[in-house]
Amino acid sequence: MPSTHDVGGASGFGPIVREGGEPAFHHEWEARVFVLNRRLLELGFYNLDEFRFAIERLPPERYLGSTYYEKWFLAIEWLLAEKGVLP
Amino acid sequence: MARFAPGDRVRTRAANPQGHTRLPRYLCNRTGTIEAVHGIYPLPDERALGMALESCTKEALYTVIFEGGEVWRERAIEPLSVSADLWESYLAAERA
Repeated sequence: MPSTHDVGGASGFGPIVREGGEPAFHHEWEARVFVLNRRLLELGFYNLDEFRFAIERLPPERYLGSTYYEKWFLAIEWLLAEKGVLP
Repeated sequence: MARFAPGDRVRTRAANPQGHTRLPRYLCNRTGTIEAVHGIYPLPDERALGMALESCTKEALYTVIFEGGEVWRERAIEPLSVSADLWESYLAAERA
């Protein structure tokens, strides 16, 4: 069963719009999510492959309807809940 | 420890199992050429399940190059190739 994320080579998603001079982060919260993930990885709450897999396991509507760092945040939340770190 | 060497022809597995893997669907059942052998690395398919580094499978990791026509068939724009870093268990030997 293919996962929602595995769409490389598929067509029908529309053109890729390139942003000139794209900043690393578009919002301050995105930088926070980036740092939060690095810290949680360093502290060993989960590994990088678990993090990638958590993004892949997002419900299709969340995966397809979320921005890049929204996916990161949802995956972190999901992992921490799964591991009992978050209630 | 590595089964393949640069220049060897390989074929990727036909379909991915459930779960996490680093072989994208568009590179399933495609033939390519080993470009580089990076050494032995833990299998991400197992690490993704939270398996500890000590207990998970370690395999050779390769960079494999695929020609555009092999990946995108008649829609390929030549000259174009794509390379992917793939673990040994994703690959089988392909007769040259």
